[in-house]
Amino acid sequence: MLGKMPKALGGIVVCDFSWVGAGSITTSVLAQCGAEVIKIESRTRPDILRLSGPFRDGIAQGLERSGYFASRNANKKSISLNMSNPKARDVVVRLIEKSDLIINNFRVGQMEKWGLGWEDVKALNPRIIYVTMSLQGTTGPHASFMGYGVNLNALCGLTARSAFPGQRPFGTGTHYTDHVMVPAHTLFGIMAALLQREKTGEGQTVAVSQLAAAASMKPTDVMTYAANGDILGPMGLGDPDAAPHGVYATFGDRKWIAIAVFNEEQWEALKRAMGTPSWAEDSRFSTVEARKKHEEELNGRIEEWTRRHHGEDLTERLARQGVPAGIVNDARGVIEDGHLIDRGFWAYLDHPEVGISLYNRAPFIMSRTPVEMQKAAPLLGQHTREVLTEMLGYSMDDVQKLAEEGVLT
Amino acid sequence: MDSLSDLRVIDLTGELGPYAARLYAGLGADVIHVEPIRGDPLRDLGPFHKNVPGRERSLQYVYYNAGKRGLVLDLNKKRARDIFLTLCQGADLLLESCAPGYLDSLGLSYEAVSAGNKKLVQTSITPFGHSGPYKDYPGSDLVCAALGGFLFLAGVDNEKPVRACDSQSYRMAEAYAAVSSAVAVFFARTTGLGQCVDVSCMEAVGMALENAPQYYDLEGKNRRGSGREAGAGTIHPCKDGYIALVAIMGKNRGMWEALVQWMKEEGVEDWEVLQNDAWIDPAYRASEIAYDTFCGIFEHYTMKHDKMYLYEVGQSHRVAVSPVSNGKDLLENPQLRYQNFWERTWHQGLGGEVICPGAPYTFGSLQWRPGNPAPAFGQHTREILLELGYKNDYIDSLSMEGVVYVG
Repeated sequence: MLGKMPKALGGIVVCDFSWVGAGSITTSVLAQCGAEVIKIESRTRPDILRLSGPFRDGIAQGLERSGYFASRNANKKSISLNMSNPKARDVVVRLIEKSDLIINNFRVGQMEKWGLGWEDVKALNPRIIYVTMSLQGTTGPHASFMGYGVNLNALCGLTARSAFPGQRPFGTGTHYTDHVMVPAHTLFGIMAALLQREKTGEGQTVAVSQLAAAASMKPTDVMTYAANGDILGPMGLGDPDAAPHGVYATFGDRKWIAIAVFNEEQWEALKRAMGTPSWAEDSRFSTVEARKKHEEELNGRIEEWTRRHHGEDLTERLARQGVPAGIVNDARGVIEDGHLIDRGFWAYLDHPEVGISLYNRAPFIMSRTPVEMQKAAPLLGQHTREVLTEMLGYSMDDVQKLAEEGVLT
Repeated sequence: MDSLSDLRVIDLTGELGPYAARLYAGLGADVIHVEPIRGDPLRDLGPFHKNVPGRERSLQYVYYNAGKRGLVLDLNKKRARDIFLTLCQGADLLLESCAPGYLDSLGLSYEAVSAGNKKLVQTSITPFGHSGPYKDYPGSDLVCAALGGFLFLAGVDNEKPVRACDSQSYRMAEAYAAVSSAVAVFFARTTGLGQCVDVSCMEAVGMALENAPQYYDLEGKNRRGSGREAGAGTIHPCKDGYIALVAIMGKNRGMWEALVQWMKEEGVEDWEVLQNDAWIDPAYRASEIAYDTFCGIFEHYTMKHDKMYLYEVGQSHRVAVSPVSNGKDLLENPQLRYQNFWERTWHQGLGGEVICPGAPYTFGSLQWRPGNPAPAFGQHTREILLELGYKNDYIDSLSMEGVVYVG
């Protein structure tokens, strides 16, 4: 059924040089919307996520067992090309001629070295959209600086505020910027260029600065400093407009519930859920301002209550009474969460080496066009032969020859 | 100047949702922010310009609504709903963050708003989406981060997790709402067919779990945050704050050697300890003794220097080190200054300048623009109603009766 539905990005071909985190997530979303994504890889320089855990059964052997890699590369085709062999470029050129989009997140200058800079590619295909993802631009005093998601989290200002007052900042505990801030902006830039091409018939460059993209999604610290001279500090778990607002221990190890009370109606509902304890009637807790002022005591009182209950029960009880509340799900909790399962957020796809394993779709459901998780991540070079013969016009003999010459590794 | 000016976007969002339409406004789309008669709740959120609260002074409102026009409608009134339906006739995209079922209850279902405009895309941004057992649950940023599994990662061992700033659950959903809407608009441009798009904060948060679901699926482990493995994504104090360090990933010896060389050249006390092969082993680095030893040596050095020095010297040794920036550091960041990243806009209403983030990307021909300052309450009501064909007399009567607010 689904296969017959028109796909929103059906017919869009992506020449995908991107690797590791942000770039691969970007093209994964395009693929779920129906684009044909051809990922160019090489055994001589594999995507480092192929070497990063977790691995099926914890066995870190070879290039095909990584769940980290798999989760970012569903629905794509992989061709292996040794770009240091000059003949590999001819294969890429044929692919570029068929592509709507070419994307890379290499260091600045790498594509140019292969004769695949914007000007070269534009000459081959003037309709193509050429996407680059530098860490912080291609010119300027720090243009050549290096960094990973954790560095970018810190540099963009996220880490300083994601901290408990008086403690060493912690941040998100992940390479967060790579997962949403950068790929989502890249995707929007790509879609804008595709929409524009409908009008002009011409491609263009889309240059994402990862730092700029990240900084755009967290404006408050800079704006406040610029306007008022205030340096905003760690937020902890609090919120200036809510009390109680935090994470409270519930029955069990590492089990917590988040509760966020923004108005008196929610506070009254919370009190009722707690059984209208006498302490809560005290004037120290009668308004948001008063509760903010006595927040530590308030939080302690609430935790005395939450700790005697199962988080799941409390979530349901509070939410039904109109109090924003939810357990702090760990991975298992999210995977088994009935709401996400009901919405089809998770997909289990069969991979030749990893077997049936877990993926998630992009975070949107479209009523008319499918957002599909169809095929597990490709083996390295799994589709080399297929793509070269069926899409790029090589004969079987040509492919054999290229293979013998070491181009297809 | 190339722009998306042929796109008309209606933005019926408030505290949750505004960044999605802001991304369209940044590329020149005609974005109309429809506000309720009591005002966008975002207007009430601080910090405020010069720390003076006021309807036009919320810095978040000012940022997320820049480049949009403002139309104030009381959708509880029939004539306001008629205006809204007329507005939808000429639109490509309706972005809204109303509770599921609310618009239907007003007679503004997708069928109604798209009648006569089959290409209309309607994108809903809600805490939990329009289907599933939680759809009517009340949400908040923290609650969505918690239920979606993002919050759990922001801590180690048995410690409570910490919240990310600027309501990232909302921001993630907004960013993906912008993306999915553009995909739907692209499809509508080629087929003439619009559709509904359902974006939930809880699912958007699910994009930010790194490899945690896969760790559970493949290895049965429930991982928490990284941040306590010596030199591999750790935060360290320095003279004027903190720095972040990624001096190794996995068993990448080359990365670690660059750090050792840096320590050696700076004459850091006990730098030789870091030369030991044990540091290449992730299991060793994750031990408490390794973490403590590393912090002892490295921080003895970092505490003597400020973050910008450590950033520039570390980077010159090809070590991935970066400052833990605060608002001041960001505004003074030499790279962002060089790129003129920060947008300076004069706000007549505030009698002052506002500085905010600028272009997240640059294009060959499309042009990012800061746009006009965020609309004052009801600023463009009359202008928009005139464009829709309403006459001034009628607009005056609508205003008198509180159907619209003319600023």
